Amino acid sequence: MIRLAGTRILGALAQILVVTLLAWLLFYVIARFTGASPAQRIAGKTASPAQIALVAKNLGLNQPYWRQYFIFLGRLVRGNFGFSYVQQRPVSQILWPALRATASLVLGAAVVWLSIAIPVGSYGGLRPRSFGDVAGRVIAIVGMSIPVFWLAPVLSYQLGYEPTQGRLFGLPILPVGTQLFPITGYVDLGQNPVQWAYHLILPWITLAIGFAAVYIRFLRTLTAEQLAEDYTRTARAKGASTSRVLIRHVGRNVLPSLTVLLGADVATALTGVFFVETVYAIPGIGYVGLSAIENLDYPVITAVIIVAAVIAVVANTIVDIAHMALDPRIRHVPDA
Amino acid sequence: MAQRAEMTIDPRAELDASPPPVARPAGLRATALRRLRHDPASIFAFCLLVLLVLAALIGGPLAATLTGHSPDTQYPDALHSDGLPIGFFSRTLNAAGTATNPHGSLFILGADQLGRDQLVRVLYGARISLLVATSATALALVIGVSLGLLAGYLGGWVDAIVTRMTETAMAFPNVLLGVGLAIVIGPGLLNVVIIISLFTWYYPARIVRSTTVATKKMTFVAAARALGARPRRLLLVHLLPQVWGPLLVYATSIIANNIIFEAGLSYLGVGVPPPTPSWGQMLSDAVTSGMYTTDIGLALVPGLALVITMLGFNLLGDGIRDALDPKGRR
Repeated sequence: MIRLAGTRILGALAQILVVTLLAWLLFYVIARFTGASPAQRIAGKTASPAQIALVAKNLGLNQPYWRQYFIFLGRLVRGNFGFSYVQQRPVSQILWPALRATASLVLGAAVVWLSIAIPVGSYGGLRPRSFGDVAGRVIAIVGMSIPVFWLAPVLSYQLGYEPTQGRLFGLPILPVGTQLFPITGYVDLGQNPVQWAYHLILPWITLAIGFAAVYIRFLRTLTAEQLAEDYTRTARAKGASTSRVLIRHVGRNVLPSLTVLLGADVATALTGVFFVETVYAIPGIGYVGLSAIENLDYPVITAVIIVAAVIAVVANTIVDIAHMALDPRIRHVPDA
Repeated sequence: MAQRAEMTIDPRAELDASPPPVARPAGLRATALRRLRHDPASIFAFCLLVLLVLAALIGGPLAATLTGHSPDTQYPDALHSDGLPIGFFSRTLNAAGTATNPHGSLFILGADQLGRDQLVRVLYGARISLLVATSATALALVIGVSLGLLAGYLGGWVDAIVTRMTETAMAFPNVLLGVGLAIVIGPGLLNVVIIISLFTWYYPARIVRSTTVATKKMTFVAAARALGARPRRLLLVHLLPQVWGPLLVYATSIIANNIIFEAGLSYLGVGVPPPTPSWGQMLSDAVTSGMYTTDIGLALVPGLALVITMLGFNLLGDGIRDALDPKGRR
């Protein structure tokens, strides 16, 4: 187990190295041929050639490329992501608050989608082809088919803007000026927890719907599979109640797969929930990344990509190791 | 196990002695097709997709001919004097843009913020969606299947490299890198296809690799090798056919995902360049201009087109998966 975990961590480190190399090549080397030089952009449009040369020297931009890469890596390790061309401040000052916002969005949404999917999905697996199961499946397949960049503006309009005009889903039933949900904006958790949650409810729901659909289907299949196994029949024969079978027996066996899926999804979502963040103006990683791309702010783009990749790799590693801990079977099978 | 029942000899065959009793088990493909034909959801999905392909192939030109509106022409008389487009099932306005002209031309799904016909545009948009999604899927499958087969068959360092490549590719945030790439390599239909396939090849690669690893240990492969089959023949004739089942299920959902991906790229302004109508572009025009708050139809039409398309592919994917499931009913 320890040896497996060790190999896994080494592999993850190699991956992070490759990602940093690719991101650096793409946005530090190739991008240099397509626009103004980085030194020029940091020094500003009005800088004299001498000033630009000085900036280039300070940043090590006059060194050979291989050396620049190691300088870049060395700075990364110390948490220095460079300097934003556009905002004229260190990238790390932009990145960490953005990561906080994205984490608030994603973790809250995960709670929402799990609390929808766990009851609906396991009910569907328990009573296949019942009314509740069919309804759950129809909702799930429709939910899967709704693109989030459509859902986000529609929900923000129907539940955010329309109530202020006194309408709910087109019906004039609310007093004009009602604010059900704020349309946009973000309040940090540390500032005001109530406002934080209030501003995030709509984004949470928007993000959670697509995931809830996937998880309903996933849990339904898994629950049905486990209920068909002999051990659940044995448990029932011994007189265990349905809820006990579901929680103690089926739940124990569904948990490892659920953890793996959840870990991967949360990690991917943490790397930027682009559409939800842009529509609701949440200053998260996706929002920062996209506006950096619009402004060709290469240090920010590179930092976002590297941080995102590191999150994905680290999360996958943790998930794999957690999987080994939760599921004793895969500990003994190398290369599983 | 239910399949076994089909292998028993039809009792009538014993009475009617002339044809020899056929005890051949129904093949997986035949079983799957029969199951699909008996599944109402799959039939419904299939009809949806046929309609969609028809809409893409002939719907656009047909609607353009019938209404007399070309997809890219801006009709000033389809905008009110305050710039708001006319809504569903409205006729164009008089020259001042204040009142409906009873003899005006009919806009069945209304006009967009530039006065273009929404119906004609959404039908032409189906072309872009399907074209981009299917060609990106095909490209991703070619890359993914080749790499997956080689990795699974050869093992060793080839396998290690391909596995690392897939994991590294998966670690990148795809939307952000997609947009970044689109900005670096520029807009265009082909570039969108390439970008999308760059972010999808690894799913088929993983599926094909794991199927191949499992299949190459089977006796029939050993038998083929003992009979002198070369690696190329083993790969193409014996191993490749085994991956179609899992891939087929996957291909439908990858097409659905690619449709969303294309729409997403267009929505972010780096997809197929305007004025070519695409659903993502139409949606983004409606949302970023804020016009959808006065005329929800602008967001509803391309959005529903996307939802219906996705629904078709997702339902069909489900149907195919159930039909190919050896543990399934019937």
